Amino acid sequence: MHELLIKINDAVQKRQQAELVPSIEAAIEAGLNPKAIIDDGLIAAMDVVGSEFSDGIIFVPEMLVSAMLMKQGLKLIKPLIAGGSDEKKGKVLIGTVKGDLHDIGKNIVVMLLEGAGFEVVDLGVDLSVDQVVKKVAELKPQIVGLSALLTTTMPEMQKTIAALTESGFRDQVKVMVGGAPLNQAFADSIGADGYAKDAAEAVSLARRMVSA
Amino acid sequence: MEQSPYIRAMSALYQGRRGDRPAVANPTSIVCHELMEQTGISFPEAHLNYKMMADLAIAGHEIAGFDSVMPEYSVDQEAAALGCTIDWGDKDQMPTAKDFPYADFRDIEVPENLLEKPSIRVVLDAIAYLRKHVGGKAMIIGKVMGPWTLAYHMAGTENFLLQVGLGEEAKVRRMLDQLMPVTIAHLNAQFEAGADVVTLGDHCTRNLVSPKHYEQLLLPLHKIIAREVSGPIILHVCGECSDRLELFSRSGFAAYHFEWSVGALRAVQTIGDRMTLFGCVNNAQTLYQGTPEDVYKQARMAIEAGVDVICPECAIPLSTPLENLKAIVAAAREGFGK
Ligand code: B12
Repeated sequence: MHELLIKINDAVQKRQQAELVPSIEAAIEAGLNPKAIIDDGLIAAMDVVGSEFSDGIIFVPEMLVSAMLMKQGLKLIKPLIAGGSDEKKGKVLIGTVKGDLHDIGKNIVVMLLEGAGFEVVDLGVDLSVDQVVKKVAELKPQIVGLSALLTTTMPEMQKTIAALTESGFRDQVKVMVGGAPLNQAFADSIGADGYAKDAAEAVSLARRMVSA
Repeated sequence: MEQSPYIRAMSALYQGRRGDRPAVANPTSIVCHELMEQTGISFPEAHLNYKMMADLAIAGHEIAGFDSVMPEYSVDQEAAALGCTIDWGDKDQMPTAKDFPYADFRDIEVPENLLEKPSIRVVLDAIAYLRKHVGGKAMIIGKVMGPWTLAYHMAGTENFLLQVGLGEEAKVRRMLDQLMPVTIAHLNAQFEAGADVVTLGDHCTRNLVSPKHYEQLLLPLHKIIAREVSGPIILHVCGECSDRLELFSRSGFAAYHFEWSVGALRAVQTIGDRMTLFGCVNNAQTLYQGTPEDVYKQARMAIEAGVDVICPECAIPLSTPLENLKAIVAAAREGFGK
């Protein structure tokens, strides 16, 4: 791999803020393929960061900084991709369900999905069933992601899935669910298509969902 | 010999003389719908009116059978006093903070009449009322948020943690230093009002930050708090914290309230000789979704492991069956075992 790509990758992975922008500028100057900068520099780095987070080697503050750097990098490179039509891996709608304001975990999932090249529309927190259905109709995502951290808000997930069925959208989207109190058995019981225990797993799950 | 609930709980708090059975006491909320129904007192009123707050706490002792009373149900009392807009919720919804007044990390303005702000006064008055009505009968537990949790409320959790990640130490330390006096003042006021022991919630958990950050940024403040407050403090940090139990034990706090994922045996073996342990029936799977038998078994496991005071792991889900809370007490009534 080109030395500058390694530097970009390192800057995101090891959170070397001062290195990132100069390395990307140098890479562009050197005529490196913008797609390679994204894939081998930024995305590959976020894959490592995601698994370090899963393994408890790094924690939320470190993850937030890496994600911030990745976004800064993407901003610099995106305009260079021909016609701006960089192909996306798939579109994901995501949010925290009604009555629940916990969003740190969901935000990390968003960051890693974006890092992995998905187009993510973050609907925020305290999301009503109707809002989800409306947005699915409008944006036609491949995947809907739902997050809940409170045992008392977990039933909202089932309600959302039921509403997607009623409105006829259920077979057009894959639903993935997550949040600390959930598990695979719960996801199965409410008829979700997938569950992931952390953000790194959420990325593999999303990748499987769009390739299936 | 049968001990009174008060003596049983106080004795357990100091790892003192064992009576007939282990103590059951809650450092965090055990309010559930059935307790609300049986007392006719509901949320949000119980967050805002001292008498309702205290009477609902007494139900935990008289109806659920706990050896303690704990009248503060939200994590937002100080935040409200410091200028956060709080939605106090309803009978199905715990309160939530609606804004983060210090997202820009400017100096925190602590109101001079902090202890007279309605959201603090209500707790102090509830504790005084409890002292009058169940003092010496049940252990009165207060609750205060520490500087780290207050910083989540002031700046927004993610924003605060990002600054930690960016290594903005001066900024982070300044905010924590400015919030610590709020914690200390509130702790002392709750003791003066009549609390026997106070829970200190400071969510520096493994789910959010590294042990290194706890050690560098918060442990020094915990040591100061332990020194400046004379009464016994129960440190409450939920989440999987087994990687920082040793650090907690250096704080000088009397007790630690741990979560199920830490493991009763591990907690006892790691710091049980230095801190009194409060734990631990799992909230989400067991107390809320499990049967009384499941709860009973987990409580017995904690007792057999040598946990000093038996309780849920955190504020319980509001629709937890009362029967399941009572199963904790039933398990304790079986005695110490071994
Ligand atoms: C931070 C926090 C808060 C902050 C939230 C800030 C925010 N903006 O999110 C504040 C202080 C506001 C808060 C408030 C409350 N909280 Co809170 N909080 C926590 C805490 C300490 C950490 C949660 C967290 O962010 N974890 C870190 C992230 C990275 O992990 P995560 O969320 O699990 O996400 C990962 C995976 O689950 C997965 N994932 C997450 N979402 C999704 C979605 C999809 C689609 C997929 C695939 C995967 C996925 O990937 C993520 C990254 O790896 C936990 C306790 C703990 N130790 O976990 C309690 C906890 C979640 N809170 C709890 C409670 C009770 C409350 C309150 C009711 C407290 C009260 N008494 O008022 C209020 C409720 C407010 C509301 N209406 O939502 C309880 C919930 C109990 C339960 N299961 O019902 C917990 C578990 C504490 C406890 N032990 O009891 N809280």
